Amino acid sequence: MEIFLQLVYSGIALGMIYAVIAFGYQLTFATSDTLNFGQGDALMLGALVGLTLVDRMGLNYWLALPVVGLFGMVQGAFVERIGVRPAIKIKSEFGWIMSTIALGIIFKNVAENIWGRDDLKFPSPLPESPLKVFGANVLPMELLVIGGALLMMLAVEFFNRKTIYGKAVVATFNDRDAAKLMGINTGLVITFSYALSSMSASFAGVLIAPLTLTGATMGSVLGLKAFAVAIIGGLTSGMGIIVGGIILGIAETTTGFYISTGYKDVPGLVLLLFVLAVKPAGLFGKSAIKKV
Amino acid sequence: MKRRVHLTVLASLMLATGFSFAADPIKVGVTGPYTGGSSSMGVSMRDGVKLAINEINKAGGVLGRQLLAVERDDEAKNERGVQIAQELINKEQVVATLGFINTGVALASQRFYQEAKIPVFNNVATGSIVTQQFKAPEFPDNYIFRNAAHDSIQAPMIVEEAIVRRNFKKVAILADSTNYGQLGREDLEKALAAKNVKAVAVEKFNIKDVDMTAQLLKAKEAGAEVVLTYAIGPELAQIANGMTKLGWKVPMIGSWTLSMANFIDNAGPGGEGARMPQTFIQEPNTVKRKTFIEAYLKTFKPKNNRIDSPVSAAQGYDSVYLLAAAIKQAGSTEGPKVREALENLQTKVEGVVTTYDKPFTHDDHEAITANIPIFGEVKGSKVVYAYEEDRVKGADIRTKVKKAATADKQPAKK
Repeated sequence: MEIFLQLVYSGIALGMIYAVIAFGYQLTFATSDTLNFGQGDALMLGALVGLTLVDRMGLNYWLALPVVGLFGMVQGAFVERIGVRPAIKIKSEFGWIMSTIALGIIFKNVAENIWGRDDLKFPSPLPESPLKVFGANVLPMELLVIGGALLMMLAVEFFNRKTIYGKAVVATFNDRDAAKLMGINTGLVITFSYALSSMSASFAGVLIAPLTLTGATMGSVLGLKAFAVAIIGGLTSGMGIIVGGIILGIAETTTGFYISTGYKDVPGLVLLLFVLAVKPAGLFGKSAIKKV
Repeated sequence: MKRRVHLTVLASLMLATGFSFAADPIKVGVTGPYTGGSSSMGVSMRDGVKLAINEINKAGGVLGRQLLAVERDDEAKNERGVQIAQELINKEQVVATLGFINTGVALASQRFYQEAKIPVFNNVATGSIVTQQFKAPEFPDNYIFRNAAHDSIQAPMIVEEAIVRRNFKKVAILADSTNYGQLGREDLEKALAAKNVKAVAVEKFNIKDVDMTAQLLKAKEAGAEVVLTYAIGPELAQIANGMTKLGWKVPMIGSWTLSMANFIDNAGPGGEGARMPQTFIQEPNTVKRKTFIEAYLKTFKPKNNRIDSPVSAAQGYDSVYLLAAAIKQAGSTEGPKVREALENLQTKVEGVVTTYDKPFTHDDHEAITANIPIFGEVKGSKVVYAYEEDRVKGADIRTKVKKAATADKQPAKK
């Protein structure tokens, strides 16, 4: 039982790492129907900028957070202006896929040149010795990631449902042309959503970096897993991201222990295929009806 | 004085015969991962090579020609390695290639050199089959050489350390899913079987995995007293961090990659005490080693005066001197002649790892034998000698044991 509990804890912690990254996918999808495939790289940039602030400039971890967030916003807006806007303008269905991937690769190369190619250690702001909770171990940093993920979910839901700006976002998603006619600056809304998305990715980067490792290549696998989480949970639901993350995380750790560590990634991906076949909008997603 | 006369004669000869190409540099390919998880090995190897090439060039080069390193980053990817091999052979027309950190890349790329009859010097890659790919009788001549401790040396050493020296009964094996990890795991299992031990848990993980809970819990539940590893730095650090998290601390003994800087730094206190076979430890206990370490630190200024991967730097450095000696002896840069010279080196080459006295023969392309590596241990974020007796005897050069002596298969015993 204790083992199962430990597996569940680690699974949840792992799932939350995926979830905090997955929020970024959701934010851009919610306005423009596009995704930033450079999400993993936005995460990596956030983590590395955070590392520079904390390690080289001696800034306090908590004080570094807003700076990193600001950097993320600028980076996200840049991606949108350079990569996504031209594609949306010509109503290209796929242009943004290539351009966000390309920008991601460019960011990775830039990071390799600035920060080197090795994985670096991110000093943990919390004690690194584990806590015992009901007989199984958790790291304080893992609790912080879980807290961060929940907070981000609440913020996104609150923003979308309660604020006028959130309503503009929802309106833009539902019908871009109608929203425009109603006086919403849809272009700005989309830019803003990209800025927000990269900001969340940067936050996520600083949040998880003490647990993973920090380096130019950290985003590749994590970005992909987070994408799977976003698909499983549904690209339109904050709740879905959390649940999707937990499902994928626990599936990985339990399969690793009870079946074989060689197959630990399989059940999550099978689930992904299953969700795509049965409920393409995701477990919690609202299926959008597109009138053509 | 004599040397100067020699050079003058050579120079005037060249002038007289009007060989304009004599001044062309000798191109040597240098390939390894300078980016990604195994870059600390690749970069240290490259820097070691550069250091040796600079020294040789300052002393007048080889055959009166300067050596020129053509560096290429293979990113630890097999397909990149293949592209680079073709580029170095066909476009750059290198005389030989030094490098290969990753066994998989070496195996994928080497056939091009073999076909082009250009010698390859594996100065870091350790997979046992690296030098066995083009063995006689199928291939009359093998162009693949190595001056690194291959896995069939390392695996028995690791097992000897765990089972005999430290008397552990239950062992777990954790290896990554790459060629390197899985071939190493096979070697470990073979070496364990020779001691009539079966691992209580054999687990696998992928590159970039961030959670090792499942693997470690399995090892813990099986009652493992020691974890044997075959992986590279970042994931090894995740194993050490995972142990800290589970509050389960058993010794880690593994392949030489446990000496990588990115393991030591990322594992922090969790990595202290990890032990691994090493051909070279950053300790200036001979004159040659002292000058090498000082020159390296002065030229490349690594962080905290610690070479990121001392073994890779030392082996990279030595590989250049071995190659230069062979070219000098062959009096030519043609592949077959250089190969023949390597297989029958007349001069002793003094390297930092050991002194190479006839390191290769036609059928034996391994310069390092089981008696050369010793155990290193991570202590205070540095790799030091694990055993006091090895440290005391550190200055004694252990040279290659010739065929007759290795026949009794005595792993790791000195």
